[in-house]
Amino acid sequence: MIQITNLEKFYRTEEVQTIALNKLSFEVKKGEFVAIMGPSGCGKSTLLNILGLLDDPDGGSFKFNGEEVAGYNERKRSELRKHNVGFVFQSFNLIDELTVFENVELPLIYTGVKPAERVKRVEEVLEKMQIMHRRNHFPQQLSGGQQQRVAVARAVVNNPKLILADEPTGNLDSTNGNEVMDLLIDLNEAGTTIIMVTHSEHDAKYSHRIIRMLDGQKVTENILI
Amino acid sequence: MFKNYLKIAFRNLWKHKGYSAINIGGLAVGMTAGFLLLMYIGYEMSYESFHANKERLYRVVTDIHTPSDNYKTPVVDWNILSELTSEFPEIENYTRLHDTEFDVSIDGNNYHENKVLGVDESFFQIFDYELLQGNPTEALKKPFSLVLSETVAKKYFGNENALGKTLKIMDGSTVANVTGVMRDNPKNTQINSDILISISTYTEVLDPDLKESWGNFDNRGFVLLNENVNPKMLETKIASYNERVHGKVMKETELNLTYFLEPIEDLYLYSERGSSAQIGNVYIFLIVAFFILLIAAINFINLTTARSVERAKEVGIRKVLGAQKKQLSIQFLSESTIICLFSFLIAIALTWLALPYFNTLAGKVIAISIWDNPIYPISLFGIALVIAFLAGSYPAMVLSSFKPIQVLKGNFSNSSSGTKLRKGLVIIQFTISIVMIVSTIIVYNQINYMRSQDLGFDMNQVLIIETDGSKQQKIIIDDLTNIPNIISISTASTVPGGGGNNSSALSKIVNKQGNEQTLNIERYRIDDDYINQFDLKLLAGRNFSRDLASDSLESMIINEKVLGLLGYSNPEEVIGKGFEQWGRNGHIIGVVKDFHMSSLKEEILPLSMVYNSFGNSLINLKIAGNDVNSTLAIIEKSFKKSYPNKTFEYHFVNDLFNEQYKSEKRFGTLFLNFALLAIFISCLGLLGLASYSTLQRRREIGIRKVLGASSMGIVNLLSKDFLKLVLISIFIATPISWFIMNKWLQDFAYRMNMSWWIFAVSGGLALSIAFLTVSFQAIKAATSNPVKSLKTE
Repeated sequence: MIQITNLEKFYRTEEVQTIALNKLSFEVKKGEFVAIMGPSGCGKSTLLNILGLLDDPDGGSFKFNGEEVAGYNERKRSELRKHNVGFVFQSFNLIDELTVFENVELPLIYTGVKPAERVKRVEEVLEKMQIMHRRNHFPQQLSGGQQQRVAVARAVVNNPKLILADEPTGNLDSTNGNEVMDLLIDLNEAGTTIIMVTHSEHDAKYSHRIIRMLDGQKVTENILI
Repeated sequence: MFKNYLKIAFRNLWKHKGYSAINIGGLAVGMTAGFLLLMYIGYEMSYESFHANKERLYRVVTDIHTPSDNYKTPVVDWNILSELTSEFPEIENYTRLHDTEFDVSIDGNNYHENKVLGVDESFFQIFDYELLQGNPTEALKKPFSLVLSETVAKKYFGNENALGKTLKIMDGSTVANVTGVMRDNPKNTQINSDILISISTYTEVLDPDLKESWGNFDNRGFVLLNENVNPKMLETKIASYNERVHGKVMKETELNLTYFLEPIEDLYLYSERGSSAQIGNVYIFLIVAFFILLIAAINFINLTTARSVERAKEVGIRKVLGAQKKQLSIQFLSESTIICLFSFLIAIALTWLALPYFNTLAGKVIAISIWDNPIYPISLFGIALVIAFLAGSYPAMVLSSFKPIQVLKGNFSNSSSGTKLRKGLVIIQFTISIVMIVSTIIVYNQINYMRSQDLGFDMNQVLIIETDGSKQQKIIIDDLTNIPNIISISTASTVPGGGGNNSSALSKIVNKQGNEQTLNIERYRIDDDYINQFDLKLLAGRNFSRDLASDSLESMIINEKVLGLLGYSNPEEVIGKGFEQWGRNGHIIGVVKDFHMSSLKEEILPLSMVYNSFGNSLINLKIAGNDVNSTLAIIEKSFKKSYPNKTFEYHFVNDLFNEQYKSEKRFGTLFLNFALLAIFISCLGLLGLASYSTLQRRREIGIRKVLGASSMGIVNLLSKDFLKLVLISIFIATPISWFIMNKWLQDFAYRMNMSWWIFAVSGGLALSIAFLTVSFQAIKAATSNPVKSLKTE
């Protein structure tokens, strides 16, 4: 599903150029659950942004479903993203001014789903995430675990082929963290490919494969299953 | 999707109530000011626009050239219009307007009507004043036919039908017939009348000589041209006709006349004949309206972009979820449209509330309500949408171009270009505000300057009573002569400041070279007490004397101005020189020091004073300052004895003179109000920005306080940046306002000096107001507990 070869990304400030990704190559197959680990600044988040089509690599190749997407413009990336990729962030990133229902509904609005269909699908996914009873609450009124469940619901409501999770349990206690991981496992078992960036060895163990990075390069790769 | 936008817009507005109030409130106040001004401008531009034939209606005006002067007058010769109409097929019809006034007596009561127009029978065919009763083609045909306005008809006949009734007019024995009733004139016309009287009353009965006269300019004249007539070509034809037919008499009288056609719709705005053109004020207020709307729109832009950090996360999330730049732009534009529409609704309500006050300020009823004319709300709505688009575009562009990864990572801050732009916009706001403050101060100072100048005569405690100049007048004067509280009495045709009748006369006076020089000079008829009463200074020669019979026929006193025009430098030299004026020959017997016979807007004119001991229409009484009311009662009693049927009216010369500054005062008040609004809206924006930047710097303030910064130090830190902007504005505003106001002052013949303190005071004022605004926030931040602000970060 995802094939990256010699992927490069640099950050430049006026005086310094930092290499965030240094000729990184790996592959993720459909239905896989891959964890990416490494110390802060090793390029995990940069990688995730490129994989999520939020950022453009400076060199190398990135194939998504066999299609070369490196070099796509903003509009094309956004088009591809909204139909194929769901995001779960450490800090949940819910819109404070929208209710649980409205937050989850948002991706469907941008993909042009009809209102009646939207209600059906949002309710379905909220039921699945067991957060239906909070549908009219605003994010500030929820616990961290509940907020992350809403974020997961939002990530999956469009039935994306790929979910990118950036330290999804980073802001949660262990109980809530485990619950979220269970949700991700369920999704993966239902066929969704998941790539998760994490610091937590515990969470990484849920995955099929762990890629460890340092200074923008892959150092090891452990297959767990 | 749109529902989603609406929802988030409303929730955002509600969540940040303070900012929303500033944003919506500022915009609403700005729009209100803009709306009122635009309505005012609309009204000013609507003069005479209600005439169906306005495109073909022209005022015929005359340039009078004498050997020494040129006069651009708004009037025409009595007979030229009928001549031209029969000569030129291009002219379909014409009417003359002869301004006059008379007394009306009914049931033993006397009323003075001062808005009477003598008009030709074609009046109602040419103009669109609505005749409610009567025949439009016949009503003004016969002599002594009157068409009354509805109000006047009601005044004299109550609810009875006025048509066919008679009124006694003029001396009380002349009977006139009411042949029509017209709707009261609209306010946006310069052809004002309460009563129309057939002009044949004068030409057929009262003064048949008029029909044969030439060079008598006692009326305005209007022509209705046929379709597709080029007025410029017609003017040329008229000029050659005039030369051919009247060339000889023009040469003999040394009066060369040229006629011009002025489109009726341009008269109020552009014509300088008879009244000053209003287009300058229209432009000024248009600019003011634009600037106030600009200031309000700048607030909106500044507050929205300053707060963009808060919206950045939302933008990031939406982009991650698939929103495109265009969709986000539309979202933010919709939000600004919602804010503008809110402001629009509030502005409509405020305009409705402020309209009566504004009407008073403007001194005219520009509209009773905003719904008077559907054009108003529709165009105001259009303006609101334009503001929404213009002010919303920039924030929409900024917000929609945020990079999602950056904003979601949280390492996002306001871009320096955004901050620079906001600073630039604040400078624009304050520059405009300071220019308006300076202008207001200068307008008020100029008025004060004019009012405080030595006018060259003493008008203190002098009141005038208008009479018919008959024997009865003498009785009043004799009656009042021995009243102790009446200090002096004189009679005259005119007093300085416009009381009485102004007239000017072509006069020939022997100049320094010994030649007869023709001059058009003002003419006062006065008695021998006048010069002393008004404390006019005689520079040479003597006053008139009632003991010298020759004074009433052969003597003239002139002012310094005439002296100069004749080439004399020493007033003694002109004494005894010969003059000819209106068929009278005589000698100059005195020279008075120049005095301001009219407002200081105008130059002092050349003036001649001739002696007239009897028949002057004005009685001028200088009274003691104490017990004015009882003195007035005595005067009224005496007046009533002579004129039992007339209403007693008096005016203080003081008031009449200052009345001339009415339009400047009104202009000043309007300007003051809008300057205050401009500074208020600017400060509102500054308050928003300051509170926002204080909020952003809370952590910094906390750290500084922990490290020992004093509250005063914090206030300085926070205020400094904003005050710097105001200082820059002062530097920009000073030359701009100097330039503008210097130009404005050029309209005044006598003007104040623009001294530095005006600019200093204006700058200081702006600086203090800005400091108060900013320091309010700064003090709040400086006195808060630093631990709290550090924790919140």
